[in-house]
Amino acid sequence: MVYKVKLDVFEGPFDLLVYLIESAEMSIYDIQVAEITKQYMEYVERIQKVDTALAGEFMVLAASLIEIKSKMLLPRKSSEEGLDLLEDPRSELVQKLLEYKMYKQIAAYLEEQEERTQRIYEKPKEDLTLYTKEADVYLSLDLVPFVKAFELFLQKKKRMEEVQKRYSSIKQQQMTIESRIEQIKQLFRGRKRLKFRDLVNEDRTRQNVVLTFLSMLELIRQKAVKVNQNVNYGEITFTINEKDMVAEKGE
Amino acid sequence: MSRKETIKSAFESMMFVWGEPLDVKVAADIFNIDRKEAYDYFKELQAEYETQGRGIRIREIDKSFQLCTWEENDEYIQRLCTPVKEKRLTQSAMETLAIIAYKQPVTKGEIESIRGIKCDRVIEGLMKKELIEEVGRSTGIGRPILYGTTKVFLKNFGFTHITDLPQMEDISDVIRESEDEEREDPLQITLDWQER
Repeated sequence: MVYKVKLDVFEGPFDLLVYLIESAEMSIYDIQVAEITKQYMEYVERIQKVDTALAGEFMVLAASLIEIKSKMLLPRKSSEEGLDLLEDPRSELVQKLLEYKMYKQIAAYLEEQEERTQRIYEKPKEDLTLYTKEADVYLSLDLVPFVKAFELFLQKKKRMEEVQKRYSSIKQQQMTIESRIEQIKQLFRGRKRLKFRDLVNEDRTRQNVVLTFLSMLELIRQKAVKVNQNVNYGEITFTINEKDMVAEKGE
Repeated sequence: MSRKETIKSAFESMMFVWGEPLDVKVAADIFNIDRKEAYDYFKELQAEYETQGRGIRIREIDKSFQLCTWEENDEYIQRLCTPVKEKRLTQSAMETLAIIAYKQPVTKGEIESIRGIKCDRVIEGLMKKELIEEVGRSTGIGRPILYGTTKVFLKNFGFTHITDLPQMEDISDVIRESEDEEREDPLQITLDWQER
């Protein structure tokens, strides 16, 4: 897992630049570009180690700072009247910084406003369904449609009963193989041999027969019983394993 | 009760039921009266609550009115139930919001050029909080989206209308004043804080 450490101190390149200029107690109108560029680059190099993408955002301004710095080095031409006609290479940057500073101040003002407003509470919109919900239907019902509705209900009931006569519903399996095995073991108490017929005598539903058969298969797999069937579809006889009986007694 | 009194008292009840800011237009339509007339009644109600020093106040948010608590009662409400306050905006979100509030309608490009840094995520966050919205498209190259502030912004920052924002030139005065105060008498500030 990668942890991203965000240096939240400066919100962007201008933020950093404003901070550097202010902490050096320079006038924003007379920036000592060489000094500021040096400090700016130092910071960028530091964050570059942490977050290259973020450092990239600071690079554009770094480039223009260097450009301004190099322009400042060039001798400035003065006209004969001694008036400096060339624009100060810093002026565009100064304009941008001033604009940024302005918005930074507005942000501070908005923060104050937000803090003030957070002290005011409002009620969230209430659940108006209490008022807008339609009145309960049966209250507005005449006797005639009520009787009709009841007749409809009776007819529906009749139809349902007819359908139910023809189909039986499927019940969920109530017993697991494990619990059936326990029951069968009880039947084997004191007896050595049992026919399959005897096992399903009480309950001959298809479900019980299948369940009992599966349980016996499981017992055969566990080698708890031996199975014997003489002819196809003939009587199935189970003989309990002597060893298992010993274990049973030991219980 | 005069007709005017009836309408005013009805507006009061309606605001109570509605909870959220009630649009003057909606209220006016109910009585079939002029919007200006309805607006004036709301304003009168608002003034009455204020002069009587009620714990419930009426605030206006862009031609909508809403009942809310008086801000000075904040402390007692806190003691009663410590309501959860909404998370404050980050510094970068606040800067972006400031630019949008004052320069709207404004494109992302313009915001980024002022802040000198990419603003996609911040703008996305402000949109999610419903503080800003798309208000159209610029006619410039690529027809970029224009952003503006919403009613939620007005409400959360305590402005009744976008024109309520102080002039840019005044902002620096407001800030300077509060800074001066801090320098002159820092003790005073501490006392203020305790009073809250």
